[in-house]
Amino acid sequence: MTMHNGDRSDPGSQPAMVLSFFKRTLPFSGLEARSLETLASQARIDFLPAGTRFLTQGESEVEALHLVQKGGVRLYTRDETGRETLVDFRGEGGAVGGMALVQGGRARLSAETVEDTFFIKVPKAAFLAVVEKHPQVGRFYARAFAEEYTALAFEELKERSGTLPEPGALYLMGSRVGEIMHGPSVDIPMGASIQKAAQLMEENRVGSLLVVDPSGEHLGIVTDKDLRKTIAVGMAPEAPVEIIMSSPLSTVDERAVCFDALMAMMRQELHHLPVTRAGKVVGMITAHDIVVMQGKSPMALFREITAQRDVEGLYDLSHRTPQVIRALVQEGAKAGHITRMITVINDCLLGQVVKLLLKQLGPPPVEFCWLLMGSEGRREQTFKTDQDNAIILRDVEDPLIARAAGVYYEAFTERVIAHLVKAGFPPCPGGIMASNPKWRLSLAKWKQTFERWILKPDPEEVMHAAIFFDFRAGPGQAAFAEELKSYIMPLIQRQEVFQRHLAANCLQNKPPLSFFRGFIVEKDGQHKNQLDLKSRGIAPIADFARVIALRLGITETSTLGRLEAISDDGIVSRDLIAEVHEAYEFLMQLRLVHQLAQWERGEDPHNHVAPDSLTDLEKRTLKEAFQVIGRIQSFLKDLYKLNIA
Amino acid sequence: MVRNPLSITERIRGAVAGLISGPPAAPLLAKNHAYFQQLDQSKPLEEYEFAVVDTELTGLDARNDEIVSIGGVRIRDMELDPSDTFEAIVRPLGDMPKTATLVHRITPQQVKDRPGLEDVLPQFVEWLGTSFMVGHHVGLDMRFLNRACRKVLGAELKNPGVDTMRLAQVYEAELWESYYDRYTLNISYNLTDLTERYGLPAFGSHDALQDAFQTAYLFLFLVRKLKQGGIHTLHDLYLAGRSWRWYL
Repeated sequence: MTMHNGDRSDPGSQPAMVLSFFKRTLPFSGLEARSLETLASQARIDFLPAGTRFLTQGESEVEALHLVQKGGVRLYTRDETGRETLVDFRGEGGAVGGMALVQGGRARLSAETVEDTFFIKVPKAAFLAVVEKHPQVGRFYARAFAEEYTALAFEELKERSGTLPEPGALYLMGSRVGEIMHGPSVDIPMGASIQKAAQLMEENRVGSLLVVDPSGEHLGIVTDKDLRKTIAVGMAPEAPVEIIMSSPLSTVDERAVCFDALMAMMRQELHHLPVTRAGKVVGMITAHDIVVMQGKSPMALFREITAQRDVEGLYDLSHRTPQVIRALVQEGAKAGHITRMITVINDCLLGQVVKLLLKQLGPPPVEFCWLLMGSEGRREQTFKTDQDNAIILRDVEDPLIARAAGVYYEAFTERVIAHLVKAGFPPCPGGIMASNPKWRLSLAKWKQTFERWILKPDPEEVMHAAIFFDFRAGPGQAAFAEELKSYIMPLIQRQEVFQRHLAANCLQNKPPLSFFRGFIVEKDGQHKNQLDLKSRGIAPIADFARVIALRLGITETSTLGRLEAISDDGIVSRDLIAEVHEAYEFLMQLRLVHQLAQWERGEDPHNHVAPDSLTDLEKRTLKEAFQVIGRIQSFLKDLYKLNIA
Repeated sequence: MVRNPLSITERIRGAVAGLISGPPAAPLLAKNHAYFQQLDQSKPLEEYEFAVVDTELTGLDARNDEIVSIGGVRIRDMELDPSDTFEAIVRPLGDMPKTATLVHRITPQQVKDRPGLEDVLPQFVEWLGTSFMVGHHVGLDMRFLNRACRKVLGAELKNPGVDTMRLAQVYEAELWESYYDRYTLNISYNLTDLTERYGLPAFGSHDALQDAFQTAYLFLFLVRKLKQGGIHTLHDLYLAGRSWRWYL
């Protein structure tokens, strides 16, 4: 097998074709040039027409790693009765026989070509030599969901969004609070006068002071806004400063990334945050610092929303959310962060709509709690998400007040929904909105409704109601939502039948793994040849996290938060949880990046991607993510003995 | 998998045959001639070696034009071995016409310092060994190679040739018969077009080695697809294309 070369024009270029194949195929693409060349020189090319079975489960000795150069292979198992069950498909760049080679033994699965297929075959010995030298190659085939490569795929997604035009990058994720804080803080002793505080601020040219007690501990904060208030209400300048301070102090550790500081400020509506080192205040950070650090900031948007005095003014502001998201994606923020940010902005917008409306309509006859459900409830909103909301009203005995509340809230909810629609949140096609009398109930009625769903689940209704179980409190009395939650949690935990119905939800959509380049794409309709990331990928994982969390009585609603809480319990193996976590983040990220690109092109963001538009690495990672979904589905099947195909 | 292109007995028989059939025209071609004098066609295809060859020329006139590059890749066990290749650029005796340069992108400058055919050809013959020669419209390549061999080595190659273009024509006829479809008369049997038609992995064309690779893929495809995969021995392959001739 010597290589003759009369007079090679380009030494080392051979076998260029095979070499370039390995260079773009995982896990080989990460190997150094020498190993790749050795591998390429040992590879052979084989052709098998469609319908050729080349491995038989449990019988065939695997002599080579088959890498699909062009074509497709289906992998299946056959039980004693001869029934075949499809396990997976391998498209271009996919490998067959890897696990058997790494772990020894005969073929794990039967393999048959479904298209005319060209293979690049790596003989067993050559493959094992590579595995010995590069353990990660072995791990790639042995391990289910290779985290190392997910990280790479994330990088690619980041790069892809990096090509979007955007001047002035943000550094929210990259910089730490300690890097931009002002220090040390300006302190004022307890008992000092308000006037003294104003003088101190003026001298030091700062907007806030920390109040310290005689032991030196920081008790609270006084800002220029507080001083304004004292004058507005005509308070004596001699009054002690602690009357107007805000206490206790919210602080942020100096090692926190600026993103977290910003989140804290937005959540609590603060503009000044003391920065701590080992629990001791060492400086201050203000919203202004963060605004200065970056041009187009979530904080700026946030402030404009809260400063808006009429509802109509909010419509335009909400259209600026994508710009904020773009900046974050570009910075490499993970989907979990971004959706949280979007949620905070949307919450803020909703809060402002409600606040302004309450001002317009006058005080309500009874208190309420706005409920956010579905992706809003899970804090997983992306671009434009349909509204999913409801409202809880306080229980009242007096029929007169009850009627008044009915009239008031009908008008109130209809207006809120209408404003939200104008601000770019389309109405829920299923009518799950607070303006729907079905979902505008008193607390007692809500308890009954949930109880009915839980005790007498009707599959149709459970499907429909699943998103209700992701509820969290919006504006209003959060206590109502808390009470409802603590009422239904024990009910669900006792009702395994209900949990089974929820689990069945997760099994609705099979992972789209198929022969056509590895993916089943939608066969017809508007999204022909595309893949629905939401219904086939994101929803099943959310369903899985929901049912297990409810089973365990976990009140957290976000999917990633639920997964984290679940992993502490041990019912699901940590490995599987880690895989699900990675898969979910990746799917969310992919969806975000695609929606962002759609938004950039002026299209309406949707959940469909064309597999052809993905890079090999993305395709591969996506496929693995779908495989993880297959695993959680079988986990639920076993847990709840759901023997539905 | 059996890897035994030439059993010991065959080799001995070949050598003996060579002795009996009188002195070969050139020592280098002795083995070549001996081997092909008694070709057993009944063995599985896996036991033969195929060298897929492509040449780039200064023109199509076998009398006056010359070879400017040779590319080849081996198929053994009916698998393509991408590491067993031959590639050479040859300095022609005459001028390199512009029209030819435009086709294969080899410039007069590039060939200036290359060895002449008299140096390259023995290396090629040695590499070729006792493989069947496979090529797209292989007759043309063989005419040029044989003319060169006669001149440089004093005898022609005896390696039988398999023409992938013929195979493709037979395959198309088969498709036509089995599908009762209207026979497409305007199929282009150009290598690039067939590659696209059959959905084969595509290479850049008009580099002798790339074209050899491309032809090798086409060959693997056609051999497995012809007769619905019923081609097992060399004889089957011969029968599949009764209408063709072996370039013996």
